[in-house]
Amino acid sequence: MYKRLLNIHQVRNGLIHTRLPSTKCKEKERFAPVIWAMGRARPLGTSSIFFSENKESSTSLSEDNAKRPEENEANAEVNNDGQKNTKINEGNNISNAMLTSQLETEPVVKPEDSKKLDKTKTGKESLLELLGAMKVDVTTIRKVRPPKIPRISERPDPKPMESVQSMFQHATAEVSQQRETLNPTLVAAASAAASTLPNSRQAESELLQQLRKHEAIPDTQRRADGQNIGDIIADMKVGKKQNARSNARPGSQIRFDDDGQGYTRDRGITGELDAVRTRKSPFTSKRLNIFNAGAEQDSLSVLGPTLWDINLANQIVQATNQTPRNGFEEMIQWTKEGKLWQYPINNEAGLEDEASVPFHEHVFLDKHLDGSFPRQGPVRHFMELVITGLAKNHHLTVQQKQEHIAWFRDYFQQKDNVLKEAEA
Amino acid sequence: MASSCSRALRHHACKSSRILRIHLQNSWPNRSFALNSAADQQPAVSSLEEIVIPKKKTWSKEAVLQALASTVNRDPTASDYRFQDDPYLAPKTALEFKLFSLSQEAGRNAAKYFINKYPNYFQKDYAHPHIPCLMPETLEAQIEEASEAALAERVQLRKVKAAVDLYDQLLQAGTTVSLDVTNELLELICFYGDCDPAQENVPEQRTEETEDVQEEAQAKKARGAKPSDALRTPWKENNNAERIFALLSEPNTRSYSALIRGMVKYGAYSRAFSTYTDLLNSRLTADVHIFTALIAAAPDVQEKYNEKWDLIVDLLKQMAEQKVKPDLLTFNAVLKALRRCGSVGKSQAFPVMREMKALNIDPCLASYGHVLSIFYKAGAPVQGQKDILQEVMNEVSGKSFTPQDPDDAQFFITAMRICLDTKDIEQAYRVHELLGVGDNWRLVGDYVKQNIYYARFFSLLCLMESVDVMMKWYRDLVPSVYYPSSNVMTDLLRALDTDNRLELIPQIWKDIKTLGHGNRQKLVEDLLALMARETHTPQVQDSLADCALDIRSLYSTGDRGKALMSWTAGSLSDVISVLLAAHRRAHAWETLKLFKTHNRVPSVDLLNRFLTCVKDSGDVDEAVELVKMSAGFCLPDTHTLIQRIQQEFELSPQHRSILSDLEIQSFSSD
Repeated sequence: MYKRLLNIHQVRNGLIHTRLPSTKCKEKERFAPVIWAMGRARPLGTSSIFFSENKESSTSLSEDNAKRPEENEANAEVNNDGQKNTKINEGNNISNAMLTSQLETEPVVKPEDSKKLDKTKTGKESLLELLGAMKVDVTTIRKVRPPKIPRISERPDPKPMESVQSMFQHATAEVSQQRETLNPTLVAAASAAASTLPNSRQAESELLQQLRKHEAIPDTQRRADGQNIGDIIADMKVGKKQNARSNARPGSQIRFDDDGQGYTRDRGITGELDAVRTRKSPFTSKRLNIFNAGAEQDSLSVLGPTLWDINLANQIVQATNQTPRNGFEEMIQWTKEGKLWQYPINNEAGLEDEASVPFHEHVFLDKHLDGSFPRQGPVRHFMELVITGLAKNHHLTVQQKQEHIAWFRDYFQQKDNVLKEAEA
Repeated sequence: MASSCSRALRHHACKSSRILRIHLQNSWPNRSFALNSAADQQPAVSSLEEIVIPKKKTWSKEAVLQALASTVNRDPTASDYRFQDDPYLAPKTALEFKLFSLSQEAGRNAAKYFINKYPNYFQKDYAHPHIPCLMPETLEAQIEEASEAALAERVQLRKVKAAVDLYDQLLQAGTTVSLDVTNELLELICFYGDCDPAQENVPEQRTEETEDVQEEAQAKKARGAKPSDALRTPWKENNNAERIFALLSEPNTRSYSALIRGMVKYGAYSRAFSTYTDLLNSRLTADVHIFTALIAAAPDVQEKYNEKWDLIVDLLKQMAEQKVKPDLLTFNAVLKALRRCGSVGKSQAFPVMREMKALNIDPCLASYGHVLSIFYKAGAPVQGQKDILQEVMNEVSGKSFTPQDPDDAQFFITAMRICLDTKDIEQAYRVHELLGVGDNWRLVGDYVKQNIYYARFFSLLCLMESVDVMMKWYRDLVPSVYYPSSNVMTDLLRALDTDNRLELIPQIWKDIKTLGHGNRQKLVEDLLALMARETHTPQVQDSLADCALDIRSLYSTGDRGKALMSWTAGSLSDVISVLLAAHRRAHAWETLKLFKTHNRVPSVDLLNRFLTCVKDSGDVDEAVELVKMSAGFCLPDTHTLIQRIQQEFELSPQHRSILSDLEIQSFSSD
């Protein structure tokens, strides 16, 4: 699904690419025809030169088909590259259909001027030359690419594909129309611009020549700067396809794995569609029918985790990845081990046994003095200080405070005679 | 009083607002749609007399942290969290990763060992509230006299020998031991196979080989997952467990359960089945654990696939008869047994899965993993599998699984292996997507399994994806979660080669060096051959030349003065070709001299190319020197070189004489 979305997205991008120059041109034309003719001829020019290239490669392909069958693949790849460079349907799944459709639409975009025809001739020669010299390692190291056809589960529905295709055709047709209808205006604009200059005739012819040159120069994204079509194709030979790898394979060719996996099954789109109709998921097939679904379990009394259960848990822990991925997960681990204060923050964490003790037990400790300590005198005075301190001490439990007082009680009882001597 | 008063007040307010609304509607009939709708909404608020106060929710103590943790994404540029404390210790290679992660664990275990060994030094409890896991555990029995409590304590401490001795003492003294404690003792003995357990705190060190073999080879599956299991002793007849069991006057199901599970664990399968018959004869019903154990043992007691399956079905039927409800582990055992039932497994796997669904038992990843292994045998040719993987992925996609079975960790590597075997990148993406769902990342298993998984995934990417997509994954995975092996790097280079993206090589070389594969001769030679094969744009050529020089320096300086790689004629000439293409003649000349020092012979083709390069600069001396070198190697085509020089260079008389000398020499040597 992801793949398919991506593809459609890219196709759409391609469409936007093709449409963009023309709309841009229209706007520019409306507002500033002169400027447009001078400076903005470029985008249109590129698209036209790409079409001529495509035509170029396709003709050479048909010629080569008879002579050099071994280069079929390379040719196809070049063809594809050309296709890609038109930026229209890169990454498309049904490349063959697209290709033919494109080729069908192409005659509409015949190169207009004789100059271009000349160029294509020399271009053809250089193309043949290049193809001859081309390294055939595409065929030596081959990667098997099963067709990237959307899976059945995703229910490929042919309609969007068709609509994309027709959109594409529409787009090409539109571009070509634009090209033809705009060209006279371009010439007109050039002559208009030239008329403002002193030597108008010469200026006009120069301007037109300049325009043609612009048409010949490929888009800025290409590195090739020459008019030589050979250069362009030489660049294309590098084969920097974005993701249209699977398209390069002619449908008729037998696919064979390098690594001895044997023939891979050719899953045509029709076969997939058939399969989706006939096949049910095996997960919904019949069941064993041994157990009753509603059977009551007379469970044995569970005696807490046995050794086996502990071991099972241990095995699971060891088999899985328990390392923390970030600080929080480590803190979770610490919390489980009891090393960390627990969230949500509770000031009485760890003082659970004190929870039931009311505050006055902590604060009013006088009652522990009654009876066992003298009512007045320095000992009483001292003990009052002690309980004041204890009342303010929040680190000790009530139990500890009482033990504290009891300790003094014992102490003073032991020292009773000393105290008596001192007459305290 | 107060409450009734407030209720009356609210009532009044409510009424007045209603009256006001009616007034509004009357006075401005349909004046403004927005006002109307706003007024209509009002009673919805005011008529809610009852305010339901939500119940206090008790959050688990980890809830806050879990919420926070879910906001943290993986940083593909950072190393694993464990290593972030000390950047110096951030691992760069697979070996370092293993070493560092193990050493951390080993340090913990060492500390634990000392605390437990010398508990008297660790008595001060600093923590308040008390943290039990930081305090030393009591590993020695505290109760000395012979009593049932002492026995229970020894069982608790898992001291098999001591517990058995004490039990005997108690019996001799005539004390009766309760059935529960005896059962616990039996469980302990059976669990450890009548041996004292090995020390617990030994850091788990699993060798990669055993893991790999265990995962790959089906036949060796029976050996078990853990080396500790492999080393274990077999079940001995009449061992303490059987002896104590025989002493029991009325063994109950739990006693039988302990015995049967122990027998199955230690490979006494047929004894387990006969014990089960004893259980039936004494008119007891078995529990689910007994059945699970017996099902796991079933493939080992029967020979033929059909018989195995019949036995399993028989056991399941007995379960249904005895009204024992099967659990997840039972079905996983069935599926695991089906892996060893050949074609029967393929036909029965899905009915078993259906049965699970019908009983409302959600299959865990282990169940799906077993199904996959039933249909896709490792190493077997992939054919006729009608997208079982796809079906399985349809089932599991988007679900978050919790670990429930030790075999859960096998699922991801199995699924990825199948993707790699069938070259199915789409399913591979789905598998990888599943890994990202919830806590599923835990189920990919330990470090070794994780590495296997990513190696398979990345090999598939190299094979199937365009270089840009592949590099995207590469940047994402390497080295934050995955350290590619040199084989995978070779795959990567091959992918670059196929897509003609050789300008990426210097970058990749840097990574290769960081990953510690800079001394893998095969990989380096592949890389050099790839660089030398074609000419590129000047910038690329320049960077390639830098890369080649770097490689050359690696050849000369090995670890501890010992060079790890040795030059071959091919690699040397590749280096020279790259340097020549980048017009670095001085470096190339240095490299050419290495032929002599390492006793390698350059090809004529290389020397010819070198000569062409020399000719461009018109350096006659060097040309003559080249021929001298060629003659020194006694190359058969030296004279063609000499002819070329004679034709293409302007030679001084001195040079001429040298050349003619060499010519004679080469002819005579011919």
